[in-house]
Amino acid sequence: MAFKRKPVFRRGLFRMPLQADTRLADRFKAYLSIQQGSLKQSFGRIWQTPVASSLTIFVVAIALALPVSFHALIQNAREPIEALETTSQISLFLKPELSNDVGRALAEKLKKNPVLKGASLMTKEDGLRELGAYSGFGDALAALSSNPLPAVIIVKPAATDADSVSRLLVELKSLPEADLVQFDNEWLQKLQALLAITERTVMAFSILLGFGVLFIVGNTIRLELQNRHEEIAIAKILGATNHFIRRPFIHSGFWYAILGAVLAWIVANLLILGVQEPVNRLAELYGSPYRLSFLRMGDTLILLSIATLLGVSGAWIVVAHFLRKIDAD
Amino acid sequence: MFSRQPLTGAVKVPPCNSLLMSIIEFKHVTKRYPESGEALSDVSFAIERGEMAFLTGHSGAGKSTLLRLIPVIERPTRGEIIIDGVPIHALQGRRIPYLRRKLGLIFQDYRLLNDRTIFDNVALPLLITGHNPQDIGRRVRAALDKVGLLRKEKRLPPALSGGEKQRVGIARAIVHKPPLILADEPTGNLDRELAEEIMLMFREFNEVGVTVMIASHDLDLVRRFSRRTLRLEQGRLIGVS
Repeated sequence: MAFKRKPVFRRGLFRMPLQADTRLADRFKAYLSIQQGSLKQSFGRIWQTPVASSLTIFVVAIALALPVSFHALIQNAREPIEALETTSQISLFLKPELSNDVGRALAEKLKKNPVLKGASLMTKEDGLRELGAYSGFGDALAALSSNPLPAVIIVKPAATDADSVSRLLVELKSLPEADLVQFDNEWLQKLQALLAITERTVMAFSILLGFGVLFIVGNTIRLELQNRHEEIAIAKILGATNHFIRRPFIHSGFWYAILGAVLAWIVANLLILGVQEPVNRLAELYGSPYRLSFLRMGDTLILLSIATLLGVSGAWIVVAHFLRKIDAD
Repeated sequence: MFSRQPLTGAVKVPPCNSLLMSIIEFKHVTKRYPESGEALSDVSFAIERGEMAFLTGHSGAGKSTLLRLIPVIERPTRGEIIIDGVPIHALQGRRIPYLRRKLGLIFQDYRLLNDRTIFDNVALPLLITGHNPQDIGRRVRAALDKVGLLRKEKRLPPALSGGEKQRVGIARAIVHKPPLILADEPTGNLDRELAEEIMLMFREFNEVGVTVMIASHDLDLVRRFSRRTLRLEQGRLIGVS
């Protein structure tokens, strides 16, 4: 408007877009170099006040490390539980009077059913052998005159979600040969439910702690604003735009958050490292190839971007409030 | 000491919207504070481009208030103010920075940043307008050279004398080559000799085309320069000589 000097000579119309483009590119370059310079400067300022800055950075780091570590541990727990899920099976106990042959025929029939991944028969004799081997009652069982155990068909459902499994259970129960149907993985479902609750809880805490990060960074920036009040007043009087004044503080917010996030990343991985050895030993005892894993690349990126977002918004809110206040004065 | 090189180096004749218009125009301007009443009453005057003018009066006569209205640090209660052809009494807030960049402001208490070097203090207006570093270095040194402080660019303001601080303030006010310099009691804290030195500096800027307006209660000093003088008394303009 009034203060923009209008060009006196207009160039040919054909040249206008080209001219505009180069000017835009130049402006963008200038913008980038200003941003870069300001980022460096605000980092320098953080560097120059190591005690005050590290306090903020540590608090940010703790606030981020807690949810991140929990999240990492849940992720780690999810993996073996999901692996278990695929091995879930249903035991279909046949009526005791039915012979192994009837069981074999039924197993063959069930195998052809598309909702099942497989069905195999455990004969009465297999059952007795297994019981003898695992229970330690081998001698006592040998003393029995006849085998009291029924034949069992081990059924593997194709779909393992609760709904289809329970539908399948009803179907199997209605078979005339069936005596008892047992789903071996009910405990697994309970475990999954528990995991879901834990996940939700961690999420809720993460949100709370996220607000914590927002407030910590905001408060640190507020103190910085107060310390540099005189400087801001002078800059304003010399013609600084609000954008110019805002920039270094937004960048400070960025640095607090990103440095805190990096520290949180280190802390979370150290925590995982701390529990890694006993967990791996436990997995080995169970004969599982499972190993505890560190924070993944994707999770790391999410951590860094959420932290940046929180730090920058915290700074922005406080600076915007401050500028409104001094503009009103 | 200030004429080591021709002044046209850093301070050129500034571009103007129109050569015919006054650079400052006050039309029936009144400023009333809710607590202390009228600080300015129906003040009208015009300062022409390239003029050097003084604003005198006792403390409390409204000199500072008048000067604060030009960069829109405060707004008038009534009346019109036109700066460089632009009515500013109702200027939008986001336009104010661009108005201020056309001004070189000098304060009695210098208003320097005590934790920044002389160089950084003088560079501030250029940083604000987004000049590139080489350009800033060149211009800041030219401005410091002009006020004779080139050798002290790395010092901090507390290490300087009052006269030197004011010269830093002046370097900061001219570094971006504003067409208009406003000085509020620039020599208020300085002894006679230094005050005269500072005034001579203003005259040199004026000689290369910058409009200069100086508020001062030191009538002796003002008289010696025999320029147009606006006299304020209790918020009223009582005479122009």
